[in-house]
Amino acid sequence: MSNAVVEKGSMGRVAYARIAPNEDLVQGIEKMCLSEGFTNAFVRGALGSLVDACLGTLDGKYLQIKGPAVEIVSLAGEVRANADGSLRASLSGVVAGPDGNVYGGPFVAGSNPICMTFEVTLEEWLPEAKAAS
Amino acid sequence: MHAASGRHIRLSLMPGRSLYDALVQPLAEIGVRNASTTILGGFFDDLIYCVAPPDPSGQALVAYSKPIRAGRSFMIFGNATLGKSMRGEPLVHCHAALRTEEGLVRGGHILTDVSIVGRNPIPVLVTSLEGFELRQAYDPETNMPLLQPYKESPHE
Repeated sequence: MSNAVVEKGSMGRVAYARIAPNEDLVQGIEKMCLSEGFTNAFVRGALGSLVDACLGTLDGKYLQIKGPAVEIVSLAGEVRANADGSLRASLSGVVAGPDGNVYGGPFVAGSNPICMTFEVTLEEWLPEAKAAS
Repeated sequence: MHAASGRHIRLSLMPGRSLYDALVQPLAEIGVRNASTTILGGFFDDLIYCVAPPDPSGQALVAYSKPIRAGRSFMIFGNATLGKSMRGEPLVHCHAALRTEEGLVRGGHILTDVSIVGRNPIPVLVTSLEGFELRQAYDPETNMPLLQPYKESPHE
């Protein structure tokens, strides 16, 4: 995938899915793109809950918010194709713990199991064949 | 005001640049001067913001606070609007949720010219506004200069 600073393109298909309990949030969205045939996508709406939440911090450390359930209050991000064809979702958001306090940061892949449900809408991103840089 | 369609761009905010420069310059190079953007989250080497409590003097609806330094922070989510200032220069109006260097979740009005993108590029979804422009202009209701839509200047 292009690493251009400016990548022109257009929106394609729209997909909605529910990700089930104990599936990982980040990997679940990557799997959803694979099953839909999306190479690149933007998250356009999402809500649900996590068993526990794990958010990345500077220098590779983690912040764990114990549930259940940890509610996802907002979420934004994208899915991009790696050079080898695999997909990588980068997601960040705000979560609310069982005590009602809010926390925010990037979701760590493999460490954010869905609790009840997770509803998400993805919009396919179609870069122009020759992107400006 | 509306347009029949808008252009979409995926922009990478480049490390070491101010948020203002990282947004304005690459978009200007492809002719985008008016846009709504969604900042999808990323680390900043320095992030400075302010908040907007009521104006104690009563002259305007709100009065921006002194700058608050969040330090090395993570911008969780932001929206930034690109338009033109009253002096005719590019203007970026950005509000965002962030996690400060101390780990606190905060939010407010980002000072884009002194907030510096961190070590990794930050993705931004840009919707270019075509056929009209956003200009900062005095708003009599709030007694503040605010971005407002106008038909494009004919000489531009």
